[in-house]
Amino acid sequence: MIRRAALSLVLLASVVACSRRQPPPAPQPPPTQTTTTMTPTRTAPDTAGEGMRRLEAERAATTREMRGVLEAMIFFDYDDSRIRADQEGALNAKAPILRANPSVALLVTGHADERGSGEYNLALGLRRANAVRDFLTALGVDASRITTDTMGEDRPLDTGTTEAAYARNRRAESAVSRGGDVITRPGR
Amino acid sequence: MRNGTRARRADFHAALIAAGLAAVASPAVGQQDTTRLPPGVELEMRYSKAGRPLVAVRPFTVSITGAGPAARVTEIVSNDLTLSDRFEMLPVTESLAAPDSLRYDVWNSLNVVYLITGDVQPSGSGYQLLLTAHDVVYGREKQSGTFQLPGEASADFRLAVHAASDALVKWITGQPGMAATRIAFQRVNNNSFDIMTVDYDGENLRRLFGSPDMIYSPAWSPDGQRMAYAQKSNSQWQLVERELASGRTRVLARGDLVSGVSYAPDGSRILFDLWVPGRGVAQGLEVHAWEAASGRITKLTESTQDNMLASLSPDGRRIAFLSTRTGRQHIYVADADGSNARVLTPFGERVQYNGPEWSPNGSKIAFHGQSQGTFQIMVADATRPGGQVTQLTSRGENQDPSWAPDGRHIVYTGAGAEGEGLYVIDTTTGNIRLLTRGRRLRFPDWSMSLATPGVASQ
Repeated sequence: MIRRAALSLVLLASVVACSRRQPPPAPQPPPTQTTTTMTPTRTAPDTAGEGMRRLEAERAATTREMRGVLEAMIFFDYDDSRIRADQEGALNAKAPILRANPSVALLVTGHADERGSGEYNLALGLRRANAVRDFLTALGVDASRITTDTMGEDRPLDTGTTEAAYARNRRAESAVSRGGDVITRPGR
Repeated sequence: MRNGTRARRADFHAALIAAGLAAVASPAVGQQDTTRLPPGVELEMRYSKAGRPLVAVRPFTVSITGAGPAARVTEIVSNDLTLSDRFEMLPVTESLAAPDSLRYDVWNSLNVVYLITGDVQPSGSGYQLLLTAHDVVYGREKQSGTFQLPGEASADFRLAVHAASDALVKWITGQPGMAATRIAFQRVNNNSFDIMTVDYDGENLRRLFGSPDMIYSPAWSPDGQRMAYAQKSNSQWQLVERELASGRTRVLARGDLVSGVSYAPDGSRILFDLWVPGRGVAQGLEVHAWEAASGRITKLTESTQDNMLASLSPDGRRIAFLSTRTGRQHIYVADADGSNARVLTPFGERVQYNGPEWSPNGSKIAFHGQSQGTFQIMVADATRPGGQVTQLTSRGENQDPSWAPDGRHIVYTGAGAEGEGLYVIDTTTGNIRLLTRGRRLRFPDWSMSLATPGVASQ
């Protein structure tokens, strides 16, 4: 029915909006229903309940979309932790969302491709995560809301040994660690 | 296994000579690395098998007939002497194995220099091994000793025999052996970061402990009783010391990142990398020292970028470490307090050096270096910073060297002739053997001798 259709739209939107596998959807609070007294000779549509459900669906869709922007991966050059020019757009898009949703916190984890020593790559991963954090704090996000971590070379996205595979692994992943149930669009 | 070893040795020698003549490494054997050597680095040309005495091990006897480990003890001692790479081993035939005659003239006619005989007898819950090294040329006993062995089922049976082999090596060559040792390393298994140990001869592979959280850089304490390592917990890292017998742990330091753990050879300090927060290039790892006596932590290095993976010289007076202060990875040598840092490795295009380890006799620093492609194990003269660097390996990708206490063997993570795993190379003969096979076996650390004091009696 309508709720199922709305859910399908949400799922479609999240597939389109995001460049990677979504985390499992946050459990939705059950929509509140208001009862309306109806005379037996007339069937009135349950407008108030329907409206609530649509609002919930929109909020969930927006949350997923904003989450997608917050959790978009940032990629790096070999043996480098500087933010590339072609990655700035993705980072710039995160800042207003964070500013509009002060309860949201991020965990940024840095990764490296497998070349080079394991310990060196731990440090490189942390440096990459910190670079993302520093970029966002320079845009006005409070540093206390961003935690950084490293997985070095131990969690590759792609276990291949081609340059393309290595490039995918040189990344900083962001995960919403707090306040992710409802994220509003900035500027509203 | 011996035949395979010989074949590999021959391949390696052919590769060395060809590379030396060509002055540019070119594929001489099979899948040889085709990259040019970086400036100031040469493939080792001075591998020498000359001066290795011929040794025969006559099968050990039992003083009381019946089931006993004499054959097994003979095999372990013979294998230990072979793996020491210090001797040519004569296969002993049935006719020569007879214990009743000690015919020095017969052994002499076979060009044997040292003859090893032994006798195993029950003693308490275990055995007593009487071991003798004979000087065949002079026709007399050179040295003899008695060693206590536990029962065969004991977890320390092989270790006790290895201790006897180490004594034997000392009697004959005056040099320390490496048989009574283990190598600790990290293995990632599904989602578990495990710390493993394996005996130096590849036996007794076991998992010491592990965690779903990252564990890096395992380091044996010099007395073999403890291990220190870096462990992550909730995005923060700790320097942990673990008592191996009890499993009790304590946290010595905390920070955003900990790595590069190593003990001072006298056990008085633990060196480790600790992340120092900051902006841009000011942030990074710096080498720190934890003092065992006081628990105090001192920062030893300071520069932009990272200073990490420090190794103390055996006299405790200097450290070798990796620094990226120039933007490239280079090995530096400094005083133990971090002052007077000087670069050890030669500069050049697209070269990186990493993972320094000071040799137990203080004369060399081993590390891995990259030359436009693969990482290889290299050594530099510790007394001459900026001097020549020698490349030891040339096949596959090889990293993270760690010295055996005999000061001549090195274990490292490699992908050599027999696939991925841990390998051991002898820096004198160039001989390479697979220690244990496996993918992503990293950060090997070679223990000091684990023999209990008092095992050897002379």
